[in-house]
Amino acid sequence: MESLIYIFINTVETCLRMAPFPAKTGLIRIGNPDRNSPVLLTCNYHLTVQRMKRALRGLDAFLLVANSRGINVWCAATGGLFTNHDAVSVLKTSGIEDLVDHREVILPQLAATGLERKVIKKKTGWKGIWGPVEAMDIKEFLANGETKIESMRQVEFPMVRRFEMAVAWAFLISIFFTAILSAFWKGAIIPVVMLTWGVALLVFLAFPLYEQWLNPKTERVGFVLFDFGRGGFQLILLAVVLVVLVGLSMGPESFDWGFFLRWGIVCSIVILLVSIDLMGSTPVYKSGLHKDRMFTIELDEKRCRGAAFCEQVCPRNCYEVDQEKHLATRPRADLCVQCGACIVQCPFDSLFFKSPKGEIILPESIRKFKLNMMGKRTMNTGDR
Amino acid sequence: MSTYVLMKILESAPSRYDAGIRMLTLGQIDRIYERIALLVEKDQKVLDIGCGTGALSLRSARRGAFVKGIDVNSEMLEVARRRAKKEDLQNITFEETGIAEMEKEGSDSYDVVMSGLCFSELSKGEIAFTLEEAMRILKPGGKLIIVDEVLAVSLPLRILQLAVRIPLVVITYLLTQTTTHTVKGLAQSLVWSGFQLESSQTYQMGTLIQMVARKPNGE
Repeated sequence: MESLIYIFINTVETCLRMAPFPAKTGLIRIGNPDRNSPVLLTCNYHLTVQRMKRALRGLDAFLLVANSRGINVWCAATGGLFTNHDAVSVLKTSGIEDLVDHREVILPQLAATGLERKVIKKKTGWKGIWGPVEAMDIKEFLANGETKIESMRQVEFPMVRRFEMAVAWAFLISIFFTAILSAFWKGAIIPVVMLTWGVALLVFLAFPLYEQWLNPKTERVGFVLFDFGRGGFQLILLAVVLVVLVGLSMGPESFDWGFFLRWGIVCSIVILLVSIDLMGSTPVYKSGLHKDRMFTIELDEKRCRGAAFCEQVCPRNCYEVDQEKHLATRPRADLCVQCGACIVQCPFDSLFFKSPKGEIILPESIRKFKLNMMGKRTMNTGDR
Repeated sequence: MSTYVLMKILESAPSRYDAGIRMLTLGQIDRIYERIALLVEKDQKVLDIGCGTGALSLRSARRGAFVKGIDVNSEMLEVARRRAKKEDLQNITFEETGIAEMEKEGSDSYDVVMSGLCFSELSKGEIAFTLEEAMRILKPGGKLIIVDEVLAVSLPLRILQLAVRIPLVVITYLLTQTTTHTVKGLAQSLVWSGFQLESSQTYQMGTLIQMVARKPNGE
């Protein structure tokens, strides 16, 4: 029964994935925790809380749900909706301080774009530890004495996640089409909805096949081609669909132009909508609609002392710290998704964003406004 | 990072916050805030918890009180600061501080603690904590003033409230990405925390409440 409810919640909330879904904030007891049980903190996106509870089954622990406005950890932390204040608030007001003897809290690694361990420690006395990216790694993480293996630090876009994104987009777009078509072309609803689901599944499930041609650095932000530097996956997809349509339009006697044009337009819109933020729908690229993807992360080697905080929080494994020279290096900088976690966490402020125009965004601005600064985040600060 | 599309829209939300709140309260909120500001006197020390874009703080400062506004939203605070600067108000400061971070405020140091549409954003534990802190930092006899959204008491009114509220919430969210919640059992929480409830008035068919409570004068 419990599993059925879990599946139901997962299905509904995956369909509505694009919308915030707040869960109750505060303290949740997992199993029979005692005064030495681990304390974990997460966001109040309902699906996340459900998955955390599931992932922690069989353990005795305290789960603190902080207010992230019903949005998932990564997006909320990066967008400034899951901050130190929220973590401090749940630590101080949930009553956890009376329930455990230790002062150690496991924080979600992806919250490193918004939460600062130093600030939380200063304000509450709680020591934060970056947990794994995926909830299902938590058991292993705890069993290994709270140490992470490399794969626990990285975001991936496996089949299950791709399927979830396909469903999320297909559902949203289906609703949109149903609402519009029900006004003047009811007969088209079922074929269009089927087409939408087909295209969405195709686009996301086939992602690894065409991923190599994606170009995150292209400046073209417009229609059909914007996600792609070379070629244009949408165009190829459209061409395939149009060929099928030509086939379907061939009557026994003549070519049905009306049918071909009608469905040609509908298909173009479906393909465009499904892939409108293709890169943003993956955790391995920055959104094609977001200017931040043009930023590069720069390292000020004079400031760096090799503390390796960047290495610990980077979800794309861009960093390697040279332990002899005490210096961070970025051998896999091309994988960067500009989340800014490394900039926020660096204790020596040695990392910063640089825009293509040469403007610089300093760590203090990112810490204060996150990646969300009323469009006024860049500032020229001379020769830093 | 797919919610980035949503984020893109929410990004500019703070600048639309006030318009959103005005829509949700059908314009009532300004009148209530004006009335509350009348309870503040010149030279009093005032703390505005969850000041947002400064609606209550600025009104109190205009009356000559020394006001500190605290909020967790750095962008809303920027809007508030800009407004204070525009009016050249010297007796007002804004600080990025959450309700759980007020320990540096001295005990018995404020004449008035006020809060507009903030308690409804808090969890039960947070409300209890905030009231405890308010009790601590208020001078004996100091006032706590709360304005917030509540559920109407009678059932017919409650149904009417839902009927009006649901479409209003949807339209307001679409236009301004702002929304509010309702808070329950506030009067009870106040009494539990040791406050003496002085007055409680509801507006807009019982959906907005204004409460004035007092910290007891020590014996």
